[in-house]
Amino acid sequence: MIQTLSALKVSLIKWFARFYPMAKRNLYHFHGGIFPQYHKELSLSHPLKRGIIPKILVLPLRQHLGIRTEAKVKVGDRVLKNQCIADTKKGLSAPIHAPTSGKVIAIEPRYKPHPSGLKKLSIVIETDGLDECIDNVLDVKGNIPNDPLALKEIVHRAGIVGMGGAGFPTFAKLPEKPGIVKNLLINGAECEPFITCDDMLMQTHADEIIKGAQIVGQALGIERILFGIEDNKQKAIQAVTKACENTHIEIRPVMTVYPMGGQTQLIQELLGMEVPSEHHAIDVGVLMMNVATLRAIYHAVIHGSPLISRFVTISGLGLEEPFNAEALLGTSFLELAEMAAPKQPINYPLIQGGPMMGMALHENNVPIIKTTNCVLANPPEPVEPVMPCIRCGECMDACPINLLPQQLYWHSRNHEFDRVEKLKVFDCIECGCCSFVCPSHIPLVQYYRHAKSAIKEIKHKEAIAKLAQKRHEFKLERLAREKAERDAKIKAKKAAVKQKTAQSASTKGSASAAAAAKAAAMKQKKQAASESGTETVLSARDNAIALAKKRAQAAKDSSKKTPQIPHKPTQVTRQKTIEADRQMDKNTKPSEAGTEVPKDKSSTTDDASKRRAAAIAAARQKAKKSAQKQEDLHEA
Amino acid sequence: MIQVSSPFTHNNNSVRKVMLNVQLAALPALFTHIYFFGFGITIQWTLALITLLVVETIMLKLRNRPIWPYLTDFSGLITVTGLVFCIPPEAPWWVIVSGITFAIIFGKHLYGGLGYNPFNPAMLGFAFLLISFPYEMTQWTLPTQVSGYYLSFIDSFYLIFSGQIHSVPLDQITGATPLDEVKTALSTGVTVPTSLMSDSFNAFRIPYGWAAVNIAFFIGGTWMLISRSIRWQYPVGFLLTMIILSAAFNWFDPETYAPVRFHLLTGGLMLAAFFIITDPVSSSTTPMGRFIYASGIAVLVYIIRNWGAFPEGIAFAVLIMNMFVPIIDQYTQPRVVGYRK
Ligand code: SF4
Ligand code: SF4
Repeated sequence: MIQTLSALKVSLIKWFARFYPMAKRNLYHFHGGIFPQYHKELSLSHPLKRGIIPKILVLPLRQHLGIRTEAKVKVGDRVLKNQCIADTKKGLSAPIHAPTSGKVIAIEPRYKPHPSGLKKLSIVIETDGLDECIDNVLDVKGNIPNDPLALKEIVHRAGIVGMGGAGFPTFAKLPEKPGIVKNLLINGAECEPFITCDDMLMQTHADEIIKGAQIVGQALGIERILFGIEDNKQKAIQAVTKACENTHIEIRPVMTVYPMGGQTQLIQELLGMEVPSEHHAIDVGVLMMNVATLRAIYHAVIHGSPLISRFVTISGLGLEEPFNAEALLGTSFLELAEMAAPKQPINYPLIQGGPMMGMALHENNVPIIKTTNCVLANPPEPVEPVMPCIRCGECMDACPINLLPQQLYWHSRNHEFDRVEKLKVFDCIECGCCSFVCPSHIPLVQYYRHAKSAIKEIKHKEAIAKLAQKRHEFKLERLAREKAERDAKIKAKKAAVKQKTAQSASTKGSASAAAAAKAAAMKQKKQAASESGTETVLSARDNAIALAKKRAQAAKDSSKKTPQIPHKPTQVTRQKTIEADRQMDKNTKPSEAGTEVPKDKSSTTDDASKRRAAAIAAARQKAKKSAQKQEDLHEA
Repeated sequence: MIQVSSPFTHNNNSVRKVMLNVQLAALPALFTHIYFFGFGITIQWTLALITLLVVETIMLKLRNRPIWPYLTDFSGLITVTGLVFCIPPEAPWWVIVSGITFAIIFGKHLYGGLGYNPFNPAMLGFAFLLISFPYEMTQWTLPTQVSGYYLSFIDSFYLIFSGQIHSVPLDQITGATPLDEVKTALSTGVTVPTSLMSDSFNAFRIPYGWAAVNIAFFIGGTWMLISRSIRWQYPVGFLLTMIILSAAFNWFDPETYAPVRFHLLTGGLMLAAFFIITDPVSSSTTPMGRFIYASGIAVLVYIIRNWGAFPEGIAFAVLIMNMFVPIIDQYTQPRVVGYRK
């Protein structure tokens, strides 16, 4: 009953969408979204190309998020296919393997697909066409590991990274204990226009993807595996459905809408839940993997082959015969594009990735890296002039995160970065929906990128300044303390001398000694304060030191010379001392805890600084998270 | 120029297209208006357009802005539409000219041009006219069905430019608007149902001409909703509030408070609902905020219509709500994905 009702609703909306296309936004479970022209048939209408071995392969030493690997080969070395040629133990990274046999002819900076457009250290291999290979280079037994650590180890050695965008090393994404992940989501949405490499992969290697998913599922003890595929890939859905027979993997065709393949969006669609801001999907028991990544895992675990090639779409309006290829890492963009019969000379920048989130290249002759899913050759079109924002709100209606892009824009433009941050700019996944719909053609995402980096820079500078200030304060404090201690010693000595003389005269000696000590401490406190303006802080401590010394002295004196001391004064003295001691404790504690800012200096500034520190930490976390999010979206 | 940063594609919408769409949507109302009130409005429209072009060009020049792209964004046309339908079709030529001039200069360019004006320019212009020329602004041409006269184009032309006409007696073709009529009648003790029986109303007790123009606006507005030139929150919030208010008061005391159909189909109500309050620049930008903004205007319109000094309160209602926009925006921020509900 409910099912027929919802089916009715869907068909009603679909009918209505003929008059009002945006009605389709009611057919899925995240906010906003857009319906661009997909042009997917361009590359799908030509057969998959395999076995291309170019003359030269360029392998940048960093193809992932993390630190750079170090070359393990020298210029002149002959390398074999699958051989590990670069690795590092220094931190988060993924080793790099030779895609085919050949000779290392250079290890030098070369252009790579990177927003900076700078040359980065790369290994250059001249191929010999023999494709001589080391089998099972990862030395696996071919059975499925039963614990996460074993899987992580293989995945790491195979150099597998998230094969969508930013390329977060996959092993680092896997949890260390079984049972943490409740839902494994296979991301076959591929929502970017033009790109069909995942589609092609699903059509041709559905079984490998499914096996890869089963490997991950078994190793991590995952109960539920869902496979999300956009419903414009019917062939892929068929192939995958067939491969999934007799497994408990559920195929879930999802609405074709950009950015369905974003991690947040696909989780919302498939599981109906949101990943809380500042958290990762893993925190809610969800692991999402791209189909290409799963296939790479399958090859690593079962055949012991590392990641040396990937499916890439070579497409674009400037190409006569776009195609998909299983390309070796290191193959040149330009070479691949030239193979697709360009309609006009490619003297314009190619784009790595899709038109929505891709990146225009500064230099076209760059290599395919682990994260390259598409080489896009769209000849430049005249760009509409940018008009002022008319506040129409199209951008807001399109934002999948439900941000207010127009307000973000106004404040970014005016450099009001605190407001921008309050509007949650770090939750923006830079999907580009807002820019896509803006009738004023404002490059909104560009503004957000700029705002993000500006905010990060401000925070960074603040943190540095803060540190410097702390150091300075600490130094002043230390100097003052030393001085105070010195003074205290002198005062104590003087007082002792005084006391001696006083005692000989009167029996109330110890009382007067206490008074003297107190006076001395007071005096010294004032002195310390006047000497180094800010150091009133130390008064309590000084006081304590002085009093303690005094007490010791007094006790000694009295026990030695005056057996019949009146009780009261001693008690007062002792109490004072205890109190002072306590105060001193309070004073020293914060510095033990690592905050050198004295507590009683001014509680407000202390609080403020704490807040600022917390804010910095939060901002860092956010920044990290947004980087992660972005890469998740790239996974699509 | 080459796009340097993603996205590299666009849905090909543009400010110009949005504005042209709004113009298109105003056509049914324009034709209806011509049918009932004569050709006066076409003359007013032309006058308004010429004024717009001249004033905008001068202002852009003064502000050192490129003239061509800003003239051809057609955003000024919205102001023209909003204002032209609000003034009497046979008002003297200087009324519309000064109204447009004021609207464009004070409503738009002095605040920094398109996108920066806090007040709705058309309504600013209208308020200016209402205060400056109260007499001219209330002398509405009566629909042919009421006056029995049909003004030809030439008649209208003469009337607008010379202020007189010989073929027909002036006092017979102009008069108060139905809104004005009912309000004035009420103040002299005539109940609403009695006023609704007067000559200005047809068999359904809705005003001749006015009702049709309002319905035409409604049709055009629906087209704008479908083509996404305007957001649904505006008309829905506005009309819903208007219906609820007028129904409630009419139920409470039908003698003093006019029925729903009267409120919906007189004056510039539909014009306001679809063409005026939908001006995104001067309204709230959050979805909830728009709804509140639109409802607020409806409440104010109802209050001014019933208890205010002016027969029609749309201009003042809009201007007042314009002032609340920053506050509404601040308190209606939508929940961002990943934050607690
Ligand atoms: S879509 Fe563009 S013009 Fe419209 S509100 Fe957003 S930024 Fe402004
Ligand atoms: S780029 Fe950011 S602000 Fe724009 S639609 Fe995407 S998430 Fe929203």
